[in-house]
Amino acid sequence: MCDGPRETREKTMQKDSHVATYPRFLLRVFSGAFDGGARFYVTMTVLTAIALVGANAWAQQVANGMHLTSMTDHVSWGLYIANFTFGVGLAAGAVMMVIPAYLYDDHEMHDVVIVGELLAIASIIVCLLFVVVDMGRPDRFWHIIPGVGRFNWPISMLTWDVLVLNGYLLLNLHITGYLVYTRFRGDKPAKRWYVPFVFLSIAWAISIHSVTAFLYSGLGGRPFWNSALLAPRFIATAFVTGPALVIVLLQGIRRLTSFHVGDGPIRTLTSVMRVTVLLNLFMLGSELFTALYTGGAHAASVKYLFFGLHGHRGLVPWIWTAVILNVASALLLHLPQTRKSLGLLDLACVCAFIGVWIEKGMGLIVPGFIPSTLHEIVEYAPTLTEWKITAGIWAFGVMILIVALKVVLPVLTGELEGKAPST
Amino acid sequence: MSEPEGGKRRVFLKVLGGTLGASAFAYAMAPLRAWTKDLSAEKFLQKHYKELGKEEIQKVIARVERETLEKYGAKVKVKDQKPIEGVEFGYALNLSVCIGCRKCAEACHVENNHDRKTNNSYIRVLEMDQGSFDMARGDAQYDHAVPAPGKYYLPIQCQQCDNAPCVKVCPVQATWKEPDGIVVVDYDWCIGCRYCEAACPYHARRFNWTKPEVPAAAVNPDQGILSNRIRPQGVVEKCTFCLHRTREGRLPACLEACPTGARVFGNLLDPKSEIRWVLENKRIYVLKEELGTKPRFFYFFDV
Amino acid sequence: MRAAPTCAPLSPLRPSWRCSLRVRARTRPRPSPHPRLRPSRPSGATSIHVPEKLESIETGQLDQNGKPQRIACVTCHTLRTPEKLPESPGELVRFHQGLVFKHGTLRCASCHVVGRQDSLRLADGSMIPNRDAMLLCGQCHGPQLRDYQHGAHGGMNGYWDLGKGSRVRNHCVDCHDPHVPRFLPTNPVLRPADRLLPPPIEKPALPPFPKLGEAHP
Repeated sequence: MCDGPRETREKTMQKDSHVATYPRFLLRVFSGAFDGGARFYVTMTVLTAIALVGANAWAQQVANGMHLTSMTDHVSWGLYIANFTFGVGLAAGAVMMVIPAYLYDDHEMHDVVIVGELLAIASIIVCLLFVVVDMGRPDRFWHIIPGVGRFNWPISMLTWDVLVLNGYLLLNLHITGYLVYTRFRGDKPAKRWYVPFVFLSIAWAISIHSVTAFLYSGLGGRPFWNSALLAPRFIATAFVTGPALVIVLLQGIRRLTSFHVGDGPIRTLTSVMRVTVLLNLFMLGSELFTALYTGGAHAASVKYLFFGLHGHRGLVPWIWTAVILNVASALLLHLPQTRKSLGLLDLACVCAFIGVWIEKGMGLIVPGFIPSTLHEIVEYAPTLTEWKITAGIWAFGVMILIVALKVVLPVLTGELEGKAPST
Repeated sequence: MSEPEGGKRRVFLKVLGGTLGASAFAYAMAPLRAWTKDLSAEKFLQKHYKELGKEEIQKVIARVERETLEKYGAKVKVKDQKPIEGVEFGYALNLSVCIGCRKCAEACHVENNHDRKTNNSYIRVLEMDQGSFDMARGDAQYDHAVPAPGKYYLPIQCQQCDNAPCVKVCPVQATWKEPDGIVVVDYDWCIGCRYCEAACPYHARRFNWTKPEVPAAAVNPDQGILSNRIRPQGVVEKCTFCLHRTREGRLPACLEACPTGARVFGNLLDPKSEIRWVLENKRIYVLKEELGTKPRFFYFFDV
Repeated sequence: MRAAPTCAPLSPLRPSWRCSLRVRARTRPRPSPHPRLRPSRPSGATSIHVPEKLESIETGQLDQNGKPQRIACVTCHTLRTPEKLPESPGELVRFHQGLVFKHGTLRCASCHVVGRQDSLRLADGSMIPNRDAMLLCGQCHGPQLRDYQHGAHGGMNGYWDLGKGSRVRNHCVDCHDPHVPRFLPTNPVLRPADRLLPPPIEKPALPPFPKLGEAHP
């Protein structure tokens, strides 16, 4: 590294060398990942089982072809890409903890910001898996590796997405890895090794979700997506789902571990959500007004989504559920009682989370294809294979998150320390 | 480690859990075994079409011919037709005379070795209402005698756009525009993400949701590596203006099949070609011009 | 399927305006209009398909191979000459019964001449062989003839590039029955059968165009 030789020597004299501590760190972390109580083993076994069911469904889909899904040439993306989009938002939303912590120097948030970063890592992995299962030829994965395959950069938005998603993953891996490792060694983290990356990750978080929105909004042939408001909407919903999940997660951590979680971060995140849920509803309303007041062929997808078109109403129950959940979460978040009751807050978070999952997933991807570019109406309802794979990937993501938290939090509380065993 | 007994048991349980997990994973992934058997290292590492040397392309052709014989029982001749210098293809279709018989779609179905079960074709014909150009009023599934009163017919296939959204969005350059104006797909390079299907405003692209089914006797043996050879499962395909025919000077199959002579095909660079006469003398319009895709496919009316 | 291409080369036509019927057969190399344009080495020519119905009619019976049996016009007409042409197809009781005629206000005599069953009569009184019927059609259907001459009407088979091979053009009567030229309704083929395609939607019809005086009640 760029430490001067003198500094390094001093460090080496004071502490064990990195050559010794880093493998020990990895070993401890690795063994920590597989150690736990009965509840941990049961949870992980159940999640593993779900993930394996998903893996099996995927293997069949690859071997027999994607006719096992209900995607068609008319609706060529479905549940997978819907979940991918939602997952990117979740990853970007986690940065909502980083902004107060670093930009506004919120010290209480500082302590828990790592939870958000671990969530970002887990969601990015989930996103990448959703892209892989959506590929008709996963064996040709190497074609999309920059420098190895033929990377259509900068023209294709998908190549941008590959870059920013993997970049975000690496950034967060570096930041959390560095902080945890220094804590493990008992060092004070050197600011230059993580603060620039933290600021970079803030901008990067916005970029991953903007690029994902541009993926859709850049398509002139799909009026439902071809809106400048799509990227802002994505960011707003990201800042709903990210904080919502973290609020619930922090309470869980507080209950299950000795890691200290203050009320401050939860309060801050709730304030963020109060703004973003309203912002999201407002932008959704603007989209609806523009489409429906104008009418014509460009409003067909909106009509299909909310009211059904020519007797086809497959998404109507979905979207109204989403609208009701989003409105409910907005109301709950602004109730005075919610400030005192964590139960009501949790309810609001769950409503917002599911509401956005529908609105930004199935409610955004599928109507882009209905009616098709030739105005044919072919509906889409995921098959069992798709549900299995989706559940499997989410289960895998939850496993990653649990293991990551389980490894990282003890290091932060000092339960797991890097000093050479004293015995 | 004050309890060596408990520790041992713990290790034992972990090893047991790990073994069970690994075997369950192997079991879950078992369906992939048959699939990977089909995937040779040569196929896996095959380079992009544009990077293949002359000999390499011959090897690919030999492999495709061999596989077609093994899997479909059909002896075929695959060629690598190259664009002709000084030729850029254009296509025009006369809406005044099209009667919507779908003979063009059928000819495409047969010529291009499409999946038989799904009646797949690169051409979709919309039955439109006289007095409306709103595709929302169109119907592709009409099944009555044509031409029906008060209707006209709008066949739609790949418009071979100069500013093709599908080419722009492909993350791996598996689809591109050839010098003669045809947008092609390297079926051995496509990763099957279907972004191009989402991007195309003309519903011109098809995905192989499963292995296409064509009886041996029905396989068209006259094939092109970038055109009508039987496509693998999991990749995208599209109309290539029958480049295996047109690059040899022949007319596209859909044109020959048209019983009303509604279709005109030729070289846009040749001022004396039929297509140029149509473009210069008829009332021409292109589909969804406002999207800026710059099609090479034109519709015209008799005046 | 269309009839087997029993092609005949385009017959030489005498008067100068008739020469325009000669489809632009690229039989001689043209000067290249574009420096990159490949010099065309013609190996093919354009010919017009001559349908059987110009020289024979169906008897309504099948031959030994199960194909509709045709009989050449001359078979009967050399033996027997009708006294005069009928005014309408209804008068045809012994021969050509059931002939349907829906072609504007034309009469049999507009094109046919008694005793000249192998020829057709143009408006200027000159006679042309049946196979050149396109000239006759072109007298009224000028725009169609013009489009045909430019390859924009009528369809073709073979090569777009006459430097590589030849091409067969359809004759008017390949597609149009001269007595009932309008296309008869046919059943379309290859209905889309995509996976998961729902049944077609019944869409409400467009409102009818208002009649004069009704537009603003």
